Amino acid sequence: MSVYHKPDSAAHPYKDPAPLPASVPQVQELGTTSAPLKSAAFFIGAYCKDYNDDFMLCKGENRDPAHCLKEGRRVTRCAQDLITKMRENCLQEFDKHWNCLELHNQEYNHCRKPERALNKCMFEKLGLIKTIPGSPEGKTPIHEVKNPVYTGVQK
Amino acid sequence: MPVPWEALIPFGLLTTMFAAGGTLLNVSKRAQNQGKPIRYHIDSWDEMMMDRDKRLTGHLRGQAAEPVAPETFATNSVWYTERVGQ
Repeated sequence: MSVYHKPDSAAHPYKDPAPLPASVPQVQELGTTSAPLKSAAFFIGAYCKDYNDDFMLCKGENRDPAHCLKEGRRVTRCAQDLITKMRENCLQEFDKHWNCLELHNQEYNHCRKPERALNKCMFEKLGLIKTIPGSPEGKTPIHEVKNPVYTGVQK
Repeated sequence: MPVPWEALIPFGLLTTMFAAGGTLLNVSKRAQNQGKPIRYHIDSWDEMMMDRDKRLTGHLRGQAAEPVAPETFATNSVWYTERVGQ
């Protein structure tokens, strides 16, 4: 059973300043926070599909954190690579989209216009398309629907 | 016949107080969220991600789009612990 407890709510939160042992290869962690990550999520899925699938299959074998460190490093490096490329090519559209997400509770359906601009830029510069896995066959995916039924509340 | 304007003072007071209270609440919520609207319908995933944002930027609503995390990110994680037994 895994329930996420906020660390602030603990009576004695445990801090361990010791770094990882030297035997574990060092990888620089991804510095993107939640909103840019959500904006780039489908592109990470398209670009890093092999490494992500590898990691998930490895986790399926054994949930122990030490078991999947190598696959995890690969996932981190691939995501870093993509974020670097996104920033080089489509920085303005990317920034607009994740700033819009931050103002709307990080929900996609309120920010379709910046999202379309970002998708267009990503397709032209990097050749990546956003596909939603599991969307119903034959119907247009929700992010391409011209006049969606569910829009936001007017603020 | 003169208009009984003193009778309208309570209505004016009510409206003003409602407006003032609402504005104060809104300003307070926005100030706590760095000028952005509040996050609602937060589930455990969002709580975990906001905690990660706090480790990366220093504030629950802080955002950064760098590929590489600052050096302190590797060791500043805090673990929730409970005392079990004695």
